[in-house]
Amino acid sequence: MRPQLLRSSLGCLVTLLSPFPASCTNKGVTRTAAAVTSLYYSRKMMHYQTEERGHPNSPDYRIYFKTSDGKYISPFHDIPLKAESEKDNDVPAKKPKSEMKVLYNMVVEVPRWSNAKMEIATKEPLNPIKQDVKKGKLRYVANIFPHKGYIWNYGALPQTWEDPNHKDKETNCCGDNDPIDVCDIGTQVCSPGQVIQVKVLGILAMIDEGEMDWKVIAINANDPDAEKLNCIEDVRRSRPGHLEATVEWFRKYKVPDGKPENQFGFNEEFKDKDFAVEIIESTHEHWRALVHKQTHAGGIECKNMSCCGSPFQFSAEEARAVVQSAPAFGNAHPVSAEVNKWHFV
Amino acid sequence: MSFSIEERGRPNTQDYRVFFKNSDGKYISPFHDVPIYANEAENIFHAIIEVPRWTNAKMEIATGDPLNPLKQDVKKGNLRFVANVFPHKGYIWNYGAIPQTWEDPNHKDSDTGCCGDNDPIDICDIGNKVCSRGEIIKVKVLGTLALIDEGETDWKVIVINTEDPEAGDFNDINDVRRLKPGYLEATVDWFRRYKVPDGKPENQFAFNGDFKDRDFAIQTVKSTHEFWKALITKKSDAGGLNCMNTSVSHSPFCCSAAEAEAVVKSACDFGSGEPIPNSVDKWFYYDK
Repeated sequence: MRPQLLRSSLGCLVTLLSPFPASCTNKGVTRTAAAVTSLYYSRKMMHYQTEERGHPNSPDYRIYFKTSDGKYISPFHDIPLKAESEKDNDVPAKKPKSEMKVLYNMVVEVPRWSNAKMEIATKEPLNPIKQDVKKGKLRYVANIFPHKGYIWNYGALPQTWEDPNHKDKETNCCGDNDPIDVCDIGTQVCSPGQVIQVKVLGILAMIDEGEMDWKVIAINANDPDAEKLNCIEDVRRSRPGHLEATVEWFRKYKVPDGKPENQFGFNEEFKDKDFAVEIIESTHEHWRALVHKQTHAGGIECKNMSCCGSPFQFSAEEARAVVQSAPAFGNAHPVSAEVNKWHFV
Repeated sequence: MSFSIEERGRPNTQDYRVFFKNSDGKYISPFHDVPIYANEAENIFHAIIEVPRWTNAKMEIATGDPLNPLKQDVKKGNLRFVANVFPHKGYIWNYGAIPQTWEDPNHKDSDTGCCGDNDPIDICDIGNKVCSRGEIIKVKVLGTLALIDEGETDWKVIVINTEDPEAGDFNDINDVRRLKPGYLEATVDWFRRYKVPDGKPENQFAFNGDFKDRDFAIQTVKSTHEFWKALITKKSDAGGLNCMNTSVSHSPFCCSAAEAEAVVKSACDFGSGEPIPNSVDKWFYYDK
């Protein structure tokens, strides 16, 4: 299946077809994904490709990102937070902004129902996705009965940052030094490194090991239910049990690793979309300060390709050199049977 | 005693088959030729795994086909994948059958009031290992659920793989309740609702959905073994069942290794599989 694209000056339905065909470069494997569009208005299509390096299920595995013209970018700093805004895009919006439904880009790290803890490597140049390592071992999130792996596609909003120097008023906790996390409740099981457009529906105030760790609840704009879901109450109605399961999942998911249950702000309640958007905006501002060196970076790799005025900009050649120094893509390593254990906590 | 499989056709298509061989490399029927007991004195049974935990493809022993390979069930012309009913993903145990058993459709069970479903007796293995399709494991019986699936008796025997590191802690149904809290309730919930997304009603149970204990379960398994013995010796009418076997020497259906080999050789060559349709990933939600 090849991606199909329809555009008109009046705004129209644009569809995505992308089973991720892979093509091999010298040493890496490139996959093409089209960022998806809204059902109502035409938007500029953004195509991102991923390039895999190293061996899946090993510490050397990396997923690098590039634009459709082959330029390497950082998924943390160079993918716009909002789907319709592009700093270097001179094309005016087709409709007044107030009428457009705001969609956010989401970088998928962990596909629903999988266990490998894939993350944007905030401290590596070009911030590829890699598998988290704890105590020298690759990290796989436990299966907390009745759940299998993650119960949503899990990832991050680009161009956001939960500042560890900033203390949240409600919870009195500082940020976890990462982009803000998102749970996509859509039906499609996405792939690591896939960039999708999502509607924000609400947010959960999780406190993970004492750090502020917001969880945005969102839905893939391409999902058949996306039109009908506009607030957290809609989620409760159309997916009974999923929000409760989300709280339980985050409460317990580290218990098998010997950590205590996590806690939450606001009495474990989900806050609604408007509040979520405020939080997202504030993490976006924290990020802006970060890449413009207005705030202490604390180990974060801020090198980017596109943030005008950022002192951390680097060249296409430097970016290429980073990727080419990564090991060649190879076969996946086997996963230990331990990962299939079902924990009753 | 060890077994191996031979795949034929292409996975996720209607021509896919999993044939079985014994340790001499001779083709056998998983229904008729794998001994029911791995250890009769200790009531350790064999189980054929049809569906690995957390998968959706409805693989079954093809009771009507010669040598009874595993194949994917087809309904209304389409390959059948079991729905994901929230919070569950696919099957929540390794699912399969005990060989040399048969739920006789001509026999009305006194507990359920329903006739048998014409299949070997089903098992749910609660061990941690995700088995592979066609794997033959040794299991301890812990208890049983009396499902009435579309009006037929359909026992679901709860078992644990004897190789599970915790198998020694599991000896009866209460051990499951104690050591894996919520698992039995989830099992009832799963069987109650798993066909609702296909437009079928919720299933019912005998004994109010309670689990019967190990001794009851073992008796139930043994009684279905008696039904199978009558089947394989032609004392019961096979109906559409294929009783071809290579090891039950007193069975009128016993055949030679060469005849068995001919069956397998006539199957499609093994090839690369089709992808699983995206629709299989859908998660169905119902208010309980």
